[in-house]
Amino acid sequence: MVIDFNTAALAAIAFWAAGIVFGVVARWQSSLKIYSTICSVTGSAIMGVFIAIYWSYLGRPPLRTLGETRLWYAALIPLVGFLVEYRWKIDWLKYYCMVFAAFFLGINLQHPDVFDKALMPALQSPWFVPHVVVYLVGYVMLAASSVAALHNVTLQLRSKPNLTGESVAHYLALLGFVLLTFGLIFGALWAKEAWGHYWTWDPKETWAFLSWLAYLGYLHAFRYKIDSKKLQWYLALSFIVLLICWFGVNYLPSAANSVHSYTRQS
Amino acid sequence: MAALRRRLFQSPWEFRESFIFAAAAVLAGFLVEYATGGTGIVKPRLPYNAVVLALFGVSVISAGLAFRNSAFVKWLGGIPLGLALISAISVLSLIGGIVPQGEPVPGSLATLLRINQIFSSWPFAAAVILFLVNLGLSLSWKLVPFSLKNIQFILFHAGFWLALSCGVMGSSDLQRLVVPIEVGKANNLGYVMESEVPQKLPFSVHLQEFSLEEYPPQLMLFDPKSDKLVAENSQAINQVRKGAIATWKGIEVQVVDFMPYALPGKDGIPRPAERNTGIAFAKVKILSGNVFQEAWLSTGSPMFKPYAVELGGLLLGMVPGTPKAFRSAVTIRDEKGEETKATLAVNHPVDVNGWKFYQMGYDEKAGRWSQLSLVEVIRDPWLPAVYLGLFMIMAGNLLFFWNGIKQHEAA
Repeated sequence: MVIDFNTAALAAIAFWAAGIVFGVVARWQSSLKIYSTICSVTGSAIMGVFIAIYWSYLGRPPLRTLGETRLWYAALIPLVGFLVEYRWKIDWLKYYCMVFAAFFLGINLQHPDVFDKALMPALQSPWFVPHVVVYLVGYVMLAASSVAALHNVTLQLRSKPNLTGESVAHYLALLGFVLLTFGLIFGALWAKEAWGHYWTWDPKETWAFLSWLAYLGYLHAFRYKIDSKKLQWYLALSFIVLLICWFGVNYLPSAANSVHSYTRQS
Repeated sequence: MAALRRRLFQSPWEFRESFIFAAAAVLAGFLVEYATGGTGIVKPRLPYNAVVLALFGVSVISAGLAFRNSAFVKWLGGIPLGLALISAISVLSLIGGIVPQGEPVPGSLATLLRINQIFSSWPFAAAVILFLVNLGLSLSWKLVPFSLKNIQFILFHAGFWLALSCGVMGSSDLQRLVVPIEVGKANNLGYVMESEVPQKLPFSVHLQEFSLEEYPPQLMLFDPKSDKLVAENSQAINQVRKGAIATWKGIEVQVVDFMPYALPGKDGIPRPAERNTGIAFAKVKILSGNVFQEAWLSTGSPMFKPYAVELGGLLLGMVPGTPKAFRSAVTIRDEKGEETKATLAVNHPVDVNGWKFYQMGYDEKAGRWSQLSLVEVIRDPWLPAVYLGLFMIMAGNLLFFWNGIKQHEAA
């Protein structure tokens, strides 16, 4: 390959770190703000370019293994932070997002993926990319929502008012829920074509359903006008369900027969 | 807050009553399960399940409309109970997401409470039925009087009601059978997962041809002492092609020639052969320590032993690549004698007379030379209703997305 993963990941992490440092210093020296933006965006751009090169090297979309999906999370989560800053003038979310993305790359650095060009027949379907991408973007939104909620909770504990922050967490959760619903249904329609039935309570399905229910519950609680402060706790803690759904399922006793465990080679 | 001043079960009911009610329903379900020895629910089949479901739907909607001012019915169709039931279904799904499903151990508590088949248990059924009541009541109030403003609510909630109820009720009519067929033969018998007694099908499937395509073979270094593969330095799966290089600690292997389909001549040297009979051969240069050698590797087949090289107690070999595609050319003949020709492949099922035909598997030991194809046949008469529900949810979802943005812009 033209660039290897370690170089790309370390470069991205370095740029994000520089972006954070410039951003913090820019609170006193506002002329440095532009450097913060340039560094942060460059970090994500490096991951974007790496994914493109990796895609062409593998000859298939790098969306099969958990390690491959972490590359996408790492590239996309900071992007949500940048968009939120652009749209709502909230600058703190991107810092969390970059730390989070660096954490994902760190996992991949610790556990190098096996480069395997093979794509099993069940995954050779027009549903593959929409199903995974919709889920990925949905989870990215929900992760950002949880991170924002966590920030809101810490502000609450210090009794600082923060209405925009709460509405950002809510809006990201809403978007994430919409995408989760599509991901779930695309998955069901694909499963009917590939495995014969749209729903079989496969462990990953069950956990995806659980995450969906968690946010379905959130939206109804919000609609019932439950205290928004309490709901920030709810959104922050929903992250645990998400984490199990992404990476935890494979380690649960129920996962033995899952059709979603692509990381294991037979 | 009102909840603090109000005593338990004093009107108007809210969250505490809802959660107690939902928990009681789940508990009752577990008691029924325990009392009946964990046999689960027995669902009626067509046409009875359709009648039961239609009656249920009509009663919920009429009850909602007739008693829309009753405090109890308002609570029964309200958000607090909805949230309590979502929590109940979540807790049961959580059990189903952790405990391995589908392996009953006779006499164990897990089997008696049916937590290893939770999704067909009484507690789950109780939660789902109450949830459908809750959802149906809230729906009735948005349906009448009808307003276009409610369309997003109606699409999402009615779609969910339809998909959930038809999915659950219709599962008793789902038929899934595996039909094993040998090349050149026909079969009209199918097997269900739980039984070894074959069932006669209203059609027969004749298998003309089975073909399997593989990814290129892979180089492997095997350690017989530990019975494990040695990881290659670059962590890559080494697809064999001319010029490919693989390295392990102290060993470097380069592929100098590769023939995907070949057969060994009398002198043991492989020569290109037909696709049907040939096997993969690769000529490799090996540098192990300071020792240099050239050798032929082969994947082998049911007829030929594989070629491998011994390197200081380790075995260098070549294994067939993973399957890339496999398909069966079949003729399906129904009871009237009408024939349909089709090619079945993974992700490409074929519909004939309300049955869907899937390429499921083959004789994996024989791999590319398999003379057996496993075809799965599935009939699900409730599928259109479930799909209608799913499409309604997606339509409602799009509107939700759109309105969500608009509301925010306005704020």
